[in-house]
Amino acid sequence: MVDILQVARREIKMGFRNPWAYSFLALFCAFSLGLLLINAQNEIQGYTAVTGSMLSLILYLLPLMTLFLGSFSLTSEKEEGSWQLLSTYPIGTLSFILGKYVGLAVVLLTVVAFGYGLMGMISGFLGMAYDSTTYFLFLLFSAGLVLLFLNIALFIGSLSRNRWQALTVSVAVWFFTVIGWPTFLIAFLGLMPYLWIKPLLVVFTILNPAELVRLFVVIKLGGGSVLGPEYYQWVEWINGSKGSLLFMGVCLVWMLSSILFVYWIWERGRSRG
Amino acid sequence: MDNPLVNVRGISKVIKKQTIVEEISFQIPTGSILALCGGNGAGKSTVLRMVAGIIQPSVGEISVGGLYWHKSRKQFSEQIGYMPDDYQFNQGLSAEEALTFWAALRRVPNRKARVNEVLGLVGLQDKRNRLVNTFSKGMRQRILFAQALLARPSLLIMDEPTNGLDPFWMNEFVDLLQRIKEEGHTVIFSTHQLEIADKIADQIVFLSHGRNVGSGPTKEFHAKFGSLYTAFNHSLGLK
Repeated sequence: MVDILQVARREIKMGFRNPWAYSFLALFCAFSLGLLLINAQNEIQGYTAVTGSMLSLILYLLPLMTLFLGSFSLTSEKEEGSWQLLSTYPIGTLSFILGKYVGLAVVLLTVVAFGYGLMGMISGFLGMAYDSTTYFLFLLFSAGLVLLFLNIALFIGSLSRNRWQALTVSVAVWFFTVIGWPTFLIAFLGLMPYLWIKPLLVVFTILNPAELVRLFVVIKLGGGSVLGPEYYQWVEWINGSKGSLLFMGVCLVWMLSSILFVYWIWERGRSRG
Repeated sequence: MDNPLVNVRGISKVIKKQTIVEEISFQIPTGSILALCGGNGAGKSTVLRMVAGIIQPSVGEISVGGLYWHKSRKQFSEQIGYMPDDYQFNQGLSAEEALTFWAALRRVPNRKARVNEVLGLVGLQDKRNRLVNTFSKGMRQRILFAQALLARPSLLIMDEPTNGLDPFWMNEFVDLLQRIKEEGHTVIFSTHQLEIADKIADQIVFLSHGRNVGSGPTKEFHAKFGSLYTAFNHSLGLK
């Protein structure tokens, strides 16, 4: 535990001294102010076309930001020789990975919190109305995206040899999971027998964190009906009495299993040399 | 040799079907200094990385203080202080912050005092708050040396420790290593500067193309060949 905290503390220090973090902070603040502007035109409450576009905008920006910062952080450990040095220390590989995850999560969540805080503060000063449930669901949506995509980022960083490789793979993953997802999904499911479509849809949705978090927030905002009949079961689950707990459980399993997978990659490299 | 601290037995390393190091064996008694000498690509760093537990030998085994890395990794690592050659320091930490982090991971008691002490040893006390990525090559080497000394390890492993050091710090480094040896620590380091090896090493291993081409006590090389240069050339089959 002490090692995890030490690695996390170093990560937070390095994170807040990294110019990339400030570029993303500025970008996210500008983005939050953009959302505020959209809200000024029509007060956002529940799921509307405006909320849907806002969710999509967040979906474009946050995963990419997380993938870059997370994967670069791990590849730089390899490129700079830091991991080689640390592997001569009496520190466990899991402590190192968890420390990196916690530290990066703190940095990224601070960026997100700052952006939303700024948005809330300015709307408060200007006396603009903002539905608190919608506001907190947006915050949850953003935090969920960061926490889940950070796992993918660590996975990319573990497999990439350098930052260029990590950058290429990050953009590819972002494109596939965020931009191209509906098109690829429809094309793929169209090739499957009819009875397979529903179970496959569940599996693919769970595998794609962007889709998983988006579905949860859209349904919680009351927009379940726009998703179509294939998602009826999802609407029932999420709106059920234990829907939020179930969602958190799925996210937790997602995070733990991917952290363990990342650990396995690093440990394999360490043991085989 | 009675009870050597380091026992390297027939290690080889094959990476992508290429043999980097082949059948290297040596022992280092407690409180002595061994220098791995050889040109570029001789396999010095690979041998040191294997001794430090960063990479594992394809064949053979290494024990430090009777411990094997794969059997008791934590205890094995606790005995070691490693100074790498290719550390880049782009992390935006100050000298003091970097050393404090390393000291914490090694559970160094009285961390602050020890960090001050090693900063003093390498002459960087007044640069403690400067970011390490603004340091010159020689200053970075000194920070890495300080890092390796932090936990007073029984075995100090140093990869090209004098690279980038100016003549003053080169001499200081020689004095420091002598003092460390007198305190009972064991040292293994790589160098292509034979004069450094000549000054401080008790034993020399000459490497060429990943093979041990000559090894023995420094004094013996002197007695037999007159100088380490002649001994090295002889080992390589040169006149």
